[in-house]
Amino acid sequence: MPDVILQNLPFLMRGLAATLQIAAVTAVGGTLLGLAVGVAVYLRLPLLAASLRIYIEFVRGTPLLVMLFICYFAFPALLGYRTTAEQATILGFILFIGAYIAEDVRSGLRSIKPGLAQAALATGLTCFQAMRLIVIPLALRRIVPSLFNQYVRLLKFTSVASVIGVQEFTGSAMLVNARVFAPVTMLAFVALTYLVLCLLLSMVGRVLHAHLAV
Amino acid sequence: MRYAGSFLAAVAAAFLAWSGIAVAQTPQNTLAAIKERGKILAGVKFDTPPFGFLDEKNEPIGFDLDLVRKIAEKLGVGVEFVKVTSPTRIPLLASGNVDLVAASMTNTPEREKTIDFSITYYTGGQSLLVPAESKITGLKDLDGKEVAVQQGTTLEKNIAAAAPNAKVTAFKDYNSAWLALAQGRVDALTGSLNILQGFQKNNPKFKIVGDMFSVEPFGIGVRKGDSDLRDAINATLRDLWASGEYTALYRKYFGTDPTIPIETRP
Amino acid sequence: MSYRFDWGPIWEARALILDGLVTTVLLSTSALVLASIIGLVVGTAASSRRLGLRIGAGAIVELTRNVPLLIHMYIWYIGLAFLRLPPFWCGVLGLAIYSGAYVAEIVRGGIASVPVGQGKAALATGLTPVQALFFVVYPQALRIVAPSLANVFSQLIKDSSLASVIAVMELTYEASAIEGQSFRTFEIYITICALYLLLVTMVTLALRFLPGEQENISGLGLAGA
Repeated sequence: MPDVILQNLPFLMRGLAATLQIAAVTAVGGTLLGLAVGVAVYLRLPLLAASLRIYIEFVRGTPLLVMLFICYFAFPALLGYRTTAEQATILGFILFIGAYIAEDVRSGLRSIKPGLAQAALATGLTCFQAMRLIVIPLALRRIVPSLFNQYVRLLKFTSVASVIGVQEFTGSAMLVNARVFAPVTMLAFVALTYLVLCLLLSMVGRVLHAHLAV
Repeated sequence: MRYAGSFLAAVAAAFLAWSGIAVAQTPQNTLAAIKERGKILAGVKFDTPPFGFLDEKNEPIGFDLDLVRKIAEKLGVGVEFVKVTSPTRIPLLASGNVDLVAASMTNTPEREKTIDFSITYYTGGQSLLVPAESKITGLKDLDGKEVAVQQGTTLEKNIAAAAPNAKVTAFKDYNSAWLALAQGRVDALTGSLNILQGFQKNNPKFKIVGDMFSVEPFGIGVRKGDSDLRDAINATLRDLWASGEYTALYRKYFGTDPTIPIETRP
Repeated sequence: MSYRFDWGPIWEARALILDGLVTTVLLSTSALVLASIIGLVVGTAASSRRLGLRIGAGAIVELTRNVPLLIHMYIWYIGLAFLRLPPFWCGVLGLAIYSGAYVAEIVRGGIASVPVGQGKAALATGLTPVQALFFVVYPQALRIVAPSLANVFSQLIKDSSLASVIAVMELTYEASAIEGQSFRTFEIYITICALYLLLVTMVTLALRFLPGEQENISGLGLAGA
């Protein structure tokens, strides 16, 4: 590895750790939010479903960077609370990816034949049990590939957090670059790292999908 | 859109409540809040030598940071540094994300409408940094030339007024503006003289040209009406001046003695 | 809620917002055209019967879409600075190459969905392979992939906001500039959100009403990533 990378490796690795942490936390949070919203919209829960549709369409029309600005500057100003760039990033990413995952969940649920749920109800399960035990697990298995697509997107998105000052991988690399001035080496190192991580993550998704295939 | 906005706001509030962050009004007395918390949240820059930058070990240091450390010492609390840039520093202060901003910020009447300033702790002046072989010798040579500046600064307004025929590009932070000059994307970088010297120190391929064309009184920013905190900052600054510690810090970062004494009355 | 709304400064800055909007439209349109060309070439290569072409195209797709867009832009802007490309074109290239990989995947899927007999029949009527692609295969594939294409294109429009980081004075850049002067944080971001939503909706609608698209209109739209 080139010297500029080696000398700054601890700092860069701290950035990478932050990147992975943000990606992991927001993947879990986004999946939970997406699951809840997707199920609510699928079940056409009165009032809730309509407002959740507005949320989904709003987020899907908004650039991620603008979403981060909203979570970092606009919400705190509006509601009068305090937040750090890291918290704002996590909130922004969860809200953002949650809307996309909700759509995946909804289409996964729609792909389950109604007969299946009816059969579950006929065996004496309650509606809630039928959803929790039969319909949702089946739908989730089907959407594993699109879920992992979202996680890969999320991993790439984390680089955008550098714009609002989060010291993640890209941000750390650019700060080091300003001092050592080795743009080509720095960018090659950064691009290669993301490439490897994203490919690994998609591979995990494919293996998981093959295992869960029904 | 209004519904979507308020709905998202509700989700945000729920998330914050869940993650244990208090959704509360910013307390009026920040000084009391700092003492209760045990540390100051200070907005500083990480890309603006010698005021706030990263050393070889990638640790943040700088004149602004040392001043904040002294203020914290005086108050008997710790410090947490929060990275800010010129366009983000006032929004972050106003929204309560930081208690104070010590980020080479010029005191202007316009900003005074939104925030309060400490006494002037440093007086800078705007100048130009150009490549060593450049033919630019001052403002008069900037017609039609590309000039880099930081977004959301007084520098941006000054250069537009001082060199109306220059093509000015405003960057989000000093880092990007400096990179633009270093990579030859622009013909000149304009900024406070000492900051330009900070960049030039490690890069002899650049030179500073022309006379200073503005006076920039730097102040530490606090939220509007935070008089207790501002008074504490001012008291510390005056103590530092009286004890000679200010001069020592100044020498450490600027290599000379201070030419202008800091204000001794509010 | 103690926040007091004040839309005055936003209205005063309307000229700047309009400038930004025009730049966003130009940036997205240029990148969209370029991404379509890249996607068509790479996607067709990926559908080729030649193994070498398929592997090459696959490698290009994986290499480009697994690197964050911001890094793509930095590569053109900072990494290849000696090319002296203006920031606008660095943004266009970054966006086009990144999105081109996604378009290529869609093109490959679209071609695969056209029955092989169609291509063969076209060749039998005396069309050259290129003519067969453009007059028979692509039009049919386009109808099938229009919804996914709409998704990638609306994503591209939103992603163009990242060009603000390399000082392209588009919508998001102007928004931070206006925010920095007026501190009307919420108002300005809601305004540009509405403008992005407008652009995205326009692209989605345009692709929904492609000629011959009406028959499979159900299940289109913003849904599905």
